[in-house]
Amino acid sequence: MAAVPVSLPSAKMAAVEKRRPAVAPVAGITDSGRPAVSQAAAVAESEEDFLRQVGVTEMLRTALLKVLEARPEEPIAFLAHYFENMGLRSPANGGAGEPPGQLLLQQQRLGRALWHLRLAHHSQRTAFNNNVSVAYECLSAGGRKKRPGLDGRTYSELLKRICRDGDAPEEVVAPLLRKIQCRDHEAVPLGVFRSGMRTCFVLLEFVARASALYRLLEDPELAAVDRRLGQAVLDTLEGALQDGDEAAPARYLEAGSRLGPDNLALAMDRAVVARRPGVPMLLEEFLEKAAALFIAKVKPVG
Amino acid sequence: MLSPERLALPDYEYLAQRHVLTYMEDAVCQLLENKEDINQYGIARFFTEYFNSVCQGTHVLFREFSFIQATPHNRASFLRAFWRCFRTVGKNGDLLTMKEYHCLLQLLCPDFPLELTQKAARIVLMDDAMDCLMSFSDFLFAFQIQFYYSEFLESVAAIYQDLLSGKNPNTVIVPTSSSGQHRQRPALGEASLLEGVEASLFYQRLENLWDRHKYSCPPPALVKEVLSNVQRLTFYGFLVALSRHHGINQALGALPDKGDLMHDPAMDEELERLLAQVPGLVNSVTANPEASYLSSRTPPRVASPWRPLHHTRKVDAESDGSTEETDESET
Repeated sequence: MAAVPVSLPSAKMAAVEKRRPAVAPVAGITDSGRPAVSQAAAVAESEEDFLRQVGVTEMLRTALLKVLEARPEEPIAFLAHYFENMGLRSPANGGAGEPPGQLLLQQQRLGRALWHLRLAHHSQRTAFNNNVSVAYECLSAGGRKKRPGLDGRTYSELLKRICRDGDAPEEVVAPLLRKIQCRDHEAVPLGVFRSGMRTCFVLLEFVARASALYRLLEDPELAAVDRRLGQAVLDTLEGALQDGDEAAPARYLEAGSRLGPDNLALAMDRAVVARRPGVPMLLEEFLEKAAALFIAKVKPVG
Repeated sequence: MLSPERLALPDYEYLAQRHVLTYMEDAVCQLLENKEDINQYGIARFFTEYFNSVCQGTHVLFREFSFIQATPHNRASFLRAFWRCFRTVGKNGDLLTMKEYHCLLQLLCPDFPLELTQKAARIVLMDDAMDCLMSFSDFLFAFQIQFYYSEFLESVAAIYQDLLSGKNPNTVIVPTSSSGQHRQRPALGEASLLEGVEASLFYQRLENLWDRHKYSCPPPALVKEVLSNVQRLTFYGFLVALSRHHGINQALGALPDKGDLMHDPAMDEELERLLAQVPGLVNSVTANPEASYLSSRTPPRVASPWRPLHHTRKVDAESDGSTEETDESET
């Protein structure tokens, strides 16, 4: 296992090689006849032992798996954050000094859960679901005075935090929160937690896209979207989403075609054909209406 | 937000493309070299600092050459570090020889090969009178091209020689596979009458390079632009044009435009931070201020002219012997 390739004449190369066993153990033939090499092998072996003992091997393995799972755009920055978060969690930091107050502990838990939730985009199903489970465990771990399990209050608080950090106006997301929130004292099962989190993240992305759409439709003279135009787009969207209750794949195609460029262009053309001075529709209103279409499809909890 | 190519790549390709394993291996290597400090700060803390320094580009300072050139990010980081540390040379308008620039490079990377510095100097001096003095910015931009695109330039040199020795340029249009590259290079003097090669022909041969080159290359469109301005050109003429092209400099992303090279108000501050991170500097000065200030061993000494003495003391007073990085990561 800890063998070092024999073709390493110089000490310098051995020094370069010594990092190998930690990440990818190199199988090679041991040549005990050459003292320099066997010495290097011994060093490598003791270093590998050291890495295993202090837990570096396991730590890096887990980190690498996280990287592969999330496939971040910038893996090095991702790793820096990953280890930073791990450092905050370690008893070496938390254990020193006064025990943190209940409130602080709760905030730390929320922060950690949020961090896990954001590791992977929600479209990466497996990775996202894994992270949701980890976040759930994080939040439901029993404290000194707290019984294990996740209560409705923590869950609602987390939802609020996600929405607040997501740059969506409060009035836009409030209806969703009302729909998927649990009562404070209720226990929240993992299934509800998972669907809640996913819905929340999808809505935030939906809102982000809707505001991008609004920017596209914006009339430079009005510095807003013409009301008829905005309404036409929203109506088309609504039409596409209508009777989409069945999750049949054909429904997706149909909705897609209704939102296709020709269909949308036709609706928009019809809306602006009478070229009268437009009444503006503000971004907030557009987002609220668009979000309402989305939220109408969300099944309420309970 | 999403980049599908990244998500569609096989695992090992994704990791290789972003050099994740290179840095992980190096992190472990560094960890083993600093075993004693780990117990004090914890392993997670160590890795956090390591990967943060990679992000910031300070990880290449005083490292061995093999590491400095290992990834494009490392190369860019080294270029930036060199510029930041020795910018004052340019500011003062000092002209230095190739050997002196080499000494500066070796302050940041002790085993930096002389050959690379020589090659960079050849670009500035057009392969002539190698003991001439060079301005900082001339050297820096030539060095940037030579260092960052090292492997690419190697191939370009081979192609150039190939074209030169091809006697009649018209016969070379047929792509003669890469075997020509392994041929013995003819002496440069042979082409002195012809003065280089035909630019369009040269570009045709270069085009093949982009497809099969796994190292970093300058953007093809910009190289085409460089070559379209001239009828004929010499190898060093080509390199000079590359080094002076601000689009290529921008694409590389390590250095600012030539005009902004000397004045950057935010940078002095940054420099202080960088120096504070230099392991050994703060400690050694604290331990024995007078002696270490005189000793020539500590690398940043050369960089001190722009940094008044009292400033050094101030840094010392703020740090209580522990490393600066420690304090920083908490903010």
